[in-house]
Amino acid sequence: MTLQLTETLPRLSRARAAVVRPWLLLAPALAILAVLLLWPLVRVFLFSLQDYGLREITTGEPSWIGLENYAEILATPELWTVVLPNTVGFAVLSVAGTVVFGTAVAVLLASLGTFWRTVTSSAIMAAWAMPAVTGTYVWVWIFDADRGVFNDALMALGLLDDPTNWFTNRWTFYAIVLLNVIHHGFPFVAVTVLAGLLGVPKEMLEAAEMDGAGAFRRFFLIIVPQLRQVFAVVIILSTIWDFKVFAQVYLMPGGAGSNRSVLNLGVWSYVESFGQNRYGFGSAIAVLLTLLLLVITAVYVRTVLAEEER
Amino acid sequence: MTRAMRRPVMAATGALLLAATTAACGSGGGGEGEGDGTLNVWIMQGTNPSAEDFFADVATAFEEETGATLDVEFVEWADAHDRFVTSIAGGTTPDVAETGTTWTPEFADAGALASLDEYVDGAGVSDDLVEGLVEAGTYDGQLYGMPWYAGVRSLVYNTEMFEQSGVEPPTTWAELEEAAAALKKEYPDKIAVAVPGDAEFTVYPWVWGAGGEVATLDSDTWTSGLDSPEAQEGIDFWTGLATEGDYSSAGATTWRETDVLDAFAAGDVGMAVMGSWTPGAIVDANADMEGKFAAVPIPGQDGGMSPSVLGGSHLSMFETAEDKDLAFAFIEMMTTGEFAQQWGEQSGYFPGQVSLLEETLQSTDPLVAPFAQQFVEGGASVPVAPTYGAVQAKATTSTMMQSILAGDADVATASTAAAEEMTTVLNGSE
Repeated sequence: MTLQLTETLPRLSRARAAVVRPWLLLAPALAILAVLLLWPLVRVFLFSLQDYGLREITTGEPSWIGLENYAEILATPELWTVVLPNTVGFAVLSVAGTVVFGTAVAVLLASLGTFWRTVTSSAIMAAWAMPAVTGTYVWVWIFDADRGVFNDALMALGLLDDPTNWFTNRWTFYAIVLLNVIHHGFPFVAVTVLAGLLGVPKEMLEAAEMDGAGAFRRFFLIIVPQLRQVFAVVIILSTIWDFKVFAQVYLMPGGAGSNRSVLNLGVWSYVESFGQNRYGFGSAIAVLLTLLLLVITAVYVRTVLAEEER
Repeated sequence: MTRAMRRPVMAATGALLLAATTAACGSGGGGEGEGDGTLNVWIMQGTNPSAEDFFADVATAFEEETGATLDVEFVEWADAHDRFVTSIAGGTTPDVAETGTTWTPEFADAGALASLDEYVDGAGVSDDLVEGLVEAGTYDGQLYGMPWYAGVRSLVYNTEMFEQSGVEPPTTWAELEEAAAALKKEYPDKIAVAVPGDAEFTVYPWVWGAGGEVATLDSDTWTSGLDSPEAQEGIDFWTGLATEGDYSSAGATTWRETDVLDAFAAGDVGMAVMGSWTPGAIVDANADMEGKFAAVPIPGQDGGMSPSVLGGSHLSMFETAEDKDLAFAFIEMMTTGEFAQQWGEQSGYFPGQVSLLEETLQSTDPLVAPFAQQFVEGGASVPVAPTYGAVQAKATTSTMMQSILAGDADVATASTAAAEEMTTVLNGSE
């Protein structure tokens, strides 16, 4: 047998080596990815098919319930009337706000001299570096009903007679979250877009200027098309981040579940699953959220690619 | 991009993975394979500032008495629940651990705790334990949590504001409302009585005080009583102080107990329901408040006392403990006698043994005696159900309070919705 193998090896190896060798070289990386990424994903999916709580953890006996978790999620009226509208509406507004504001700041930075660009970018980096938790508390503090500067200012200007609690109303609550998230998210957009801006060929802009194109036309007709890829990345990442906003809502007064009209997907899934030791239910939510984000991303990437081909 | 897309799943998986796969390395003080004279104990960090010295003394005394070594590990409150779940999953629970009163039934229901009845009877201390804590530690007719220490909430008031307004501490609900009115007249810009929207333990005294129940167990079924006429009367009184009397503030609608404490310490609040552990924190936050506040038990509707929740800790023995007699020897040493008293003094909480409290009850300190009185005579427990943690996670009571205080719903509507939800969640049939 040994003989036979040795004899056949040279003949086979040439054909196969081309196929096998890349995989062999990739194997260690793939194995690590499988352990770190694939296995957890599979576990989450398996958990989502079980009624998995503290009792199941203790006894070690799985309790398979098929798609019941998914059925329960989709049959929750709160999901459709409050949670999803809040999540999607907020994501749309905050992605738009972050990208528009971030781009505006990038344009500003591009037009500044070295000194002021350094000063401005340092200030922006400070906003970026602030942890979400700290940032949220600062905003809560600003809008505090009894001692916040916002109410004080409104009352000093005579626009408000009595202190108002801005956290109890769904719209004002999310207006504050929006400020918080845009403030925290725009630096990333600004820095990324700035990098793109600096790469736009100067000749094109000069040529357009000679042809009589104003600043706005130059921006929308030359710079924006050049930066399509950058915007694609920035928008997809912002969408994913803003979809799963958690701390910025959870830590606001009333945001941890006592004000049901402001629940979003992140807080709702935490309260309904981890808060109640219902890990199976939480896994099902995580699976659905992943699928949803995959679909959004796929649709967006296809649109961008399609435009590119055209 | 791919990496970022997988992030939500990874985040959600984190806790699961911890619970399911890495359990083995989750605990440093595992109980497995260590039966030879070492007792592993988990204690929550932060209750007693001099806990390390305290446990050094306990370890010495414990070794003298039993010959066994004591291995104490301090656990952060914030991580503790996850660590318990992880260690239960991996079978690496400690022999004895401090468990928050609302966790005891949850872990008992999961089958992780050992019943303490025969040991407590054997030690002859069963009649000497604080009732509210025994109630909270009893699940399915058996005691799983040995009362260790606890605090209680009473009515704390600003003595300076009371004197200036010419009012006496209230002893009935009518007097409380009169006092609030007088305070508001004297201090229109301050908060006469803080009615927080996100602090469930400040709500139940009024429910009980009016003769209502938070929830009752009949054979195997829980029924929330928050929508009974009595409970509604109590909730109506408490929220009415804010909505009708305007004695509270707009901000208080979303306040937690910590916000109440901040405002009280700043001298902005006339009276509030606050814990027996807060006086120290008030003076820490604002040294000017020293000697300017006192407490009374929460008044009953027409006199007497409204019951108040005892919040604290049990010591629980885990099923994994190999030498259960040794484990109970430690529990007994900690929860009765000298060490229990010492822990109470150092931490500012009350011990769970009635005979130790007698001295405290004789105290004339206006920030000790009223709390002690409430603790012994007017202590109560939230529903002792393994699912009560789920009710707290859903913030059922706070949702009710906030919607009433914000003017989104009336007492009848909000309490009916809350009762329905609490009943469903308590019965675990959601």
